[in-house]
Amino acid sequence: MGGTHLVVDYGMGNLHSVVSALRYLDIDPEISGDPARVAAADTLILPGVGSFYKAMVKLEESGLADALREAVLGRRRKILGICLGQQLMAEYGEEDGGRRGLGFFSGSVTRLSGEAGLKVPHVGFNTVRFAPQSRLFAGLGEAGDFYFVHSYWLPAGERPGLAALCNYGADFVAAYEHENVFCTQFHPEKSQTNGLRLLSNFLAQ
Amino acid sequence: MLKKRIIFTLLFDNGQFMLSRNFRLQKVGNLGWLQRNYNFADVAFFIDELIVLDVSRGPRDLDAFASALSRISEGCFAPITAGGGIDSVEHAKTLLRAGADKVVLNSALTDRPDLIRDIASEFGQQCVVGSVDVKRDGAGGYDLYIRNGSYKLAMPVSEALSWHAEGSVGEIYLNCIDQDGTGQGYDFGTLDLLPKGWGLPVILAGGVGNAKHFAEGLAHPRVDAVATAHLFNFVGDGLKKARHSLLNDGAELAAWEDLAAVDLRRHLETVR
Repeated sequence: MGGTHLVVDYGMGNLHSVVSALRYLDIDPEISGDPARVAAADTLILPGVGSFYKAMVKLEESGLADALREAVLGRRRKILGICLGQQLMAEYGEEDGGRRGLGFFSGSVTRLSGEAGLKVPHVGFNTVRFAPQSRLFAGLGEAGDFYFVHSYWLPAGERPGLAALCNYGADFVAAYEHENVFCTQFHPEKSQTNGLRLLSNFLAQ
Repeated sequence: MLKKRIIFTLLFDNGQFMLSRNFRLQKVGNLGWLQRNYNFADVAFFIDELIVLDVSRGPRDLDAFASALSRISEGCFAPITAGGGIDSVEHAKTLLRAGADKVVLNSALTDRPDLIRDIASEFGQQCVVGSVDVKRDGAGGYDLYIRNGSYKLAMPVSEALSWHAEGSVGEIYLNCIDQDGTGQGYDFGTLDLLPKGWGLPVILAGGVGNAKHFAEGLAHPRVDAVATAHLFNFVGDGLKKARHSLLNDGAELAAWEDLAAVDLRRHLETVR
């Protein structure tokens, strides 16, 4: 629980609410886009909204992608990816012609199918079903409501580390946790006490 | 399943929060007042979304509004929409940087459709809420108003709505000026203005006085969210009680534990 917390700033989306939620939990995080600061941090938070392709370009060009891979895969630092942050952790993203991701877990991020006339993007509070024994959702029961805004997703499939599913026309990965790698497709910082509880569970790991 | 929403709308005017009745404003107090007398930090845990509007009738002070928005957003862990007089992409960006997740535009929908397009292409269509103010015309129909309800347009409301649906807005905030601030309940007749095949989420506003009005709105198949801007109808734990009774009655709302029950900081202390 101790050590330094760093919110990775790579110019994609608003960090304001993530930082506010951490401060609410008495954590005063550093906010930085410097690979050296990423290397020095004990706990990393990777938020983000927007295009997978643009985000990966920014992460690769700034040296942040290598710093994150080294911190997470090499030194086993704890990380939480949020929304686009979850998607960037996958092997590959199809948005804007496709690009390799950070590769913390297998799978390809694809566009929401938008079946049965469902609107894309998927916006709003939706019910998330938790895997038993999930560390992120400890104390939250079997299911709970969380706030989503996204047009791309990681389809559900057999994968180790599946922490929660959500259904919007089809099942998709709402949260993943494996060893030191954690991520959510929804926004815990916008999901009222359910989200604050999840963040506090992550910080307590 | 995607949940329906209860939205609270805060009206801001040069450092003060306001009550509105038929779009006439009355001052209630500043941010400190809102916190002391209304315990806004607690109220914010019983809504699904917050809208903060700069309704200043004179020149707007964007820096002051952004600063208030930023302070409000620090204690609100739900999506926030902000707006009022947005006249450029940069203006929208300032509000998004100050803690807003979406921006709401009204006069620009008809005055500056190019601006709506530019904001949507920069931040995504889901980021743009179109606000439509209507008033009964006395002959069974409705007129469309812009500029804080001060200017009537000749364009029929349904034509304007069709236009918005094909444009760049992600959802619609439909407010009835006659009902605004009266506490007499929503005017569901405004929903008949929506064109056939309407596919965008609808936020219904204007007239809520109690939890029963929320329930009527949430039960309506065309309504995705119910909004109120009336601070005094839900003083104390009014909003908390309203939310609990709606959930108990089976409303399609998101559920989360009350803050006191979760007591997150203590939870962290125990694992430290």
